[in-house]
Amino acid sequence: MVRYLITRVGQALIVVILVTVIAFLILHLLPGGAARATLGKDATLAQLAQFNHDMGYDKPWIQQYLMFLQRLLHGDLGYSYQLNQSVIEAITQRLPKTIVLSLLSTLLAIVVAIPLGVIQAVRRNRWADYTITSLSLLAYATPIFFMGLLMIILFSQVWPILPPEAPQGFTVAEVLADPAGLVLPTVTLAIVTVAVYSRYVRSSMVDNLNENYVRTARSKGLPEWRVVLVHTLRNGLFPIIGLLGMYLPALFSGALVVESLFNFPGMGQLFWQAALKRDYPVLLGVTLIISIATVVGSLIADLLYAAADPRVRLRGSAS
Amino acid sequence: MEPLLELRDLDTDIAQRRGTVHALDGVSLRVMPGETLGIVGESGSGKTMTALSIMGLLPPGGQVSGGEIVFEGRDLRSLPADEVRRTRGVRMGMVFQDPLTSLNPTMRIGVQVAEPLRVHEKVGKAEARTRAVEILRRVGMPRPDKIVDNYPHELSGGMRQRVAIAMALVCSPKLLIADEPTTALDVTTQRQILELIDDLREEFSMAVILVTHDLGVIAGRADRVAVMYAGRVVETSATAALFRTPRHRYTEALLEALPEAADGERLYSIPGLPPDLSRPLTGCRFAERCRHVTDECRVTDIPLTGDAHQFACLHPVSPTDQIPSPVRVSSAPVVDAARVAGSPVLSVRNLVKNYASHGRGLRRDAGQVSAVADVSFEVAAGETFGLVGESGCGKSTLGRLAVGLERPSDGQIVLDGTDIGALSGRERRRMHREVQLMFQDSYAAMNPRMRVDSILAEPLEIQKAGDGAARRARINTLLDQVGLSRRVLERYPHEFSGGQLQRIGLARSLALQPRLIVGDEPVSALDVSIQAQVLNLMRDLQQELGLAYVFISHDLSVVDYMADRIGVMYLGKLVEVGPAREVVRAARHPYTQALIDAVPSINEVSRERIAIEGELPSALNPPTGCRFRTRCPLATSRCETEPPLAGDRHQVACHFPLRPESSAAAVQAGAVQ
Amino acid sequence: MTVSSQEKDPVRSLWRQGLGVFAENRLALVGVGIFVLLAGLCFLGPLFYHTDQVHTDLTKVHLAPGAGHPLGTDGVGYDQLGRLMLGGQTSIIVGLAAGILATAVGTIWGAIAGFAGGWVDSAMMRVVDAMMSIPALFLFMLLAAIVTPSVSMLIIIIGAFAWLGPARLVRGEALTLRSREYVQAMRAMGGTGGRAVRRHIVPNAIGTVIVNATFQVADAILYVAYLSFLGLGVPPPAANWGGMLSDGLEATYSGYWWLLYPPGIAIILIVLAFNFIGDGLRDAFEVRLRRR
Repeated sequence: MVRYLITRVGQALIVVILVTVIAFLILHLLPGGAARATLGKDATLAQLAQFNHDMGYDKPWIQQYLMFLQRLLHGDLGYSYQLNQSVIEAITQRLPKTIVLSLLSTLLAIVVAIPLGVIQAVRRNRWADYTITSLSLLAYATPIFFMGLLMIILFSQVWPILPPEAPQGFTVAEVLADPAGLVLPTVTLAIVTVAVYSRYVRSSMVDNLNENYVRTARSKGLPEWRVVLVHTLRNGLFPIIGLLGMYLPALFSGALVVESLFNFPGMGQLFWQAALKRDYPVLLGVTLIISIATVVGSLIADLLYAAADPRVRLRGSAS
Repeated sequence: MEPLLELRDLDTDIAQRRGTVHALDGVSLRVMPGETLGIVGESGSGKTMTALSIMGLLPPGGQVSGGEIVFEGRDLRSLPADEVRRTRGVRMGMVFQDPLTSLNPTMRIGVQVAEPLRVHEKVGKAEARTRAVEILRRVGMPRPDKIVDNYPHELSGGMRQRVAIAMALVCSPKLLIADEPTTALDVTTQRQILELIDDLREEFSMAVILVTHDLGVIAGRADRVAVMYAGRVVETSATAALFRTPRHRYTEALLEALPEAADGERLYSIPGLPPDLSRPLTGCRFAERCRHVTDECRVTDIPLTGDAHQFACLHPVSPTDQIPSPVRVSSAPVVDAARVAGSPVLSVRNLVKNYASHGRGLRRDAGQVSAVADVSFEVAAGETFGLVGESGCGKSTLGRLAVGLERPSDGQIVLDGTDIGALSGRERRRMHREVQLMFQDSYAAMNPRMRVDSILAEPLEIQKAGDGAARRARINTLLDQVGLSRRVLERYPHEFSGGQLQRIGLARSLALQPRLIVGDEPVSALDVSIQAQVLNLMRDLQQELGLAYVFISHDLSVVDYMADRIGVMYLGKLVEVGPAREVVRAARHPYTQALIDAVPSINEVSRERIAIEGELPSALNPPTGCRFRTRCPLATSRCETEPPLAGDRHQVACHFPLRPESSAAAVQAGAVQ
Repeated sequence: MTVSSQEKDPVRSLWRQGLGVFAENRLALVGVGIFVLLAGLCFLGPLFYHTDQVHTDLTKVHLAPGAGHPLGTDGVGYDQLGRLMLGGQTSIIVGLAAGILATAVGTIWGAIAGFAGGWVDSAMMRVVDAMMSIPALFLFMLLAAIVTPSVSMLIIIIGAFAWLGPARLVRGEALTLRSREYVQAMRAMGGTGGRAVRRHIVPNAIGTVIVNATFQVADAILYVAYLSFLGLGVPPPAANWGGMLSDGLEATYSGYWWLLYPPGIAIILIVLAFNFIGDGLRDAFEVRLRRR
């Protein structure tokens, strides 16, 4: 277990370093380089040269990268002239709200997807299974913003019970103070997630229901609910914990779209507006932070999985 | 006395994609209280389906479609589902084949074992735990109060099977159904488990249904036997009577196909394959494969007749016409001095193979698994060298080293006078012509997307042997040699049965006209009747082509039948090597003797046994000195130094051999006279 | 399988057997049907149904469906049906091309990692891990903000980052297949690594790769839609379903429903179609391994 922990954390560290390398490379791919990106298109050549010299961008790449890393470690992600604030400040304002949105919709998705997946597995190849499978495939095939719009039309226009716009609070507390406004963004993001998770749960449950230990459990004369919920579900859900981590990038991508659609003041919306204004320091900073959040999130999911599942916990590897 | 369980005309169907399989057709059986009924049959005979039908645990698509299951006077089929479930949980218990997958991997042993008590007797947590500890103690679990808190994967296979038995017995059932309970275990462990079931039967005064494919397992344990074939019971009687005077022609053929029953040069091999149960069948289902078939057999529906000894056969073996009682005489030809003379085909010298244990990352030197440790032997041209041992003893690794699939850590492999270690890559690839490997699972060893013609042509293509026409001619010759028609060429591996695949695998190994074939458990996955076909074929080809075999198997009786000389391996070491008959009948190493004694035989007579306790130690840091000393009843402090493999023809690596070499030869000579 | 049944079954090649199984799967056939219909509409439709999709016509904005314009017109006077055809061309082409590009790149990367093993494998897979932990849409947006998107640029951007999934898949497949007994059997005959790849590993891995490619195409079509929604799609007068759908979003509040539902439904249908086809193909490739 300890060895697994060390290996897994080591891997995550390597991945984070590689992510910074990729971000660094993209920064230098920008038209006009980092200087143009930071100072905007009105800057003069002299200003650019001065900036490049100040920031050390005329030094060798390796050295530049190390400086980039050093600034990163000090929380310096650059300055957005368009927002007139430092990138890290803009992000720290927004990140918690995005995390709240992601967590809420993930929780909702889990709560819905597990029973759905279990029903599908238990009734596999019957109409209940086919119906749920079709619906989740339909949800998967629908672009999130279209889904969101349909929700708005349905619940704000046809049957006006919910506001079409997310709460506009500055802090997490302010956002949470308007739960009605949170419903549509959360549900929209959750629907697609449910489609994916219920598929995982179904296939994991089907695999486990075919295992010999389930037959043993039945041979003990246990009631069927006990066979499914006590024996099979536990084992079927352990790997799902790990999959939650793997789904994080898709979840954040979804949050980007949902935040833009509902005007939710999170990282996604910040990123979207930066993209439209070509505000590169923000774009790069957000990408970097959201990627690190992904790595940390998957790490937590993997470690939770390892801690929860005795097969992994006691064997010392997740293979 | 009322029977505990009676099956009346049981029919079971299994709906599959390609139609319904009639797995059981009119099965009638009775089990008296306290007796052991053995159900024996080959795969597809319906023996497991019978057990699952009783327990109501048929696979998806399966259902009992007719007949009655009367248990303790009540027909389970007419009871409400909850009542059946309770009966199953409290009055019956079942132990399954694979102890590795039959326990819930994420539930503590104690919780699993006590679960029936919690559910059926509503016992509290603390009491459940106490009773779990108690039942685990009764199944011979060491330190049961610790084990209850472990998870299944922390235990060995034998220990897990003890847990499974404990779990089945925790509510003190009246009937225990054991479905191939020892098939996945090594012979020494198998014996421990079978004896445990025997002891518990008396202690709990319960009846046992022992389902197995292994006639030997039945012979020693069951009071009565039912023989099943193609979904029907074909013969049933008291155990001794069945083995002494089988009446049904199938039972007779099955007994003659056992390697240990080989009375002459050849085993009797039942031709053909069992019928397809998804098609309508009339008459005797064995008719197509029977030596004594008449037209009547094919059209008449034959019921079980007789009183105590029932059978369903129109032309039964006459009770006076006993089949020659299977005497344990090796049929292997005495090693022909002239044939063996000359330089050996394969010579293995001081071979060592270590694997790095799965240390990952920083600590790579976590330890070494010593798979093969300083092993030397020779195989002469035209000879069969048998290699026996339990799983994990290194016999398969040795085989893979011999064919060049693995590189030795140390030592030499000399093939036809050439040290393969000294060859360049290209030369080594050419050497593969001389030695070929035959796999246990030929299906896994064939690319599922290649047709048989491509599969057989592959070795020829690799070694650039001949042009297209020559290759086709060679493939046709091969098919003739292994007795397959040309029509198989256009088919894919998944379309064949196990026996046919083994023939194709053999044909492929022969393609390059090798001098040596290494067979790694080549018949272990096959049913007895099919196994006899393949063994006979291998011996015929050996005589025809002058092949040498290294025959690797865990099954001593098969090796005894096939081999001229036998090597016995234990934990990476060769502990005994000698002529086959001497090793089997006059073993010198205590481990060999224990292995022989553990093999269940159809002539189960009380013998003085060397019983070994415990299970194979880990090959990661094996015991020093004699590796067997931790389990050996004869071990002394002297065994802490390693004994060399000593002797002339019949060598042994033991400080206290059971008998001197000269007396071993004499015992053997006396046995055959 | 018994001897007698073998004699009765005609000899059928695996391709034919697979095709049979595919054809048994109704949803897969529906998927093929939808794809053929939509592709026919988009690529052959304009030959029969002529509309001007270049010049705006401000006299005919927001016309409701009716004579002359079966699906009405949009905010700058383009005929909506004609635009649907034109947009479908882009969506389908970008989807197919990006899906294939991603599959090709991923297959090569994963295969090299899987075969090389050791530290090469570790290094290559850590790169995949790193890129995978950057949420795709963020990366696409970042790149789309740097370069001006055109059809070919979209293909390259999506293809260049969607290959990570196939890479992981193929690497896993290569690792498994490499240790299969039939590959060992071949090595025991003296066969080389090249032969193992050619004759055994590629033919057995190809099914998985093709199945995954169909899902990649579906995902790529969705990505195009998202980029368009986020304002970084192909600029007009070029069109794609995603762009039309996000234009439709604005228009719904004014009641122009015909601008919203047709492209939305078209996207859902095409994505569903590729998912159905993928599921059908998976069954078809697996049948060959199914024993008895």
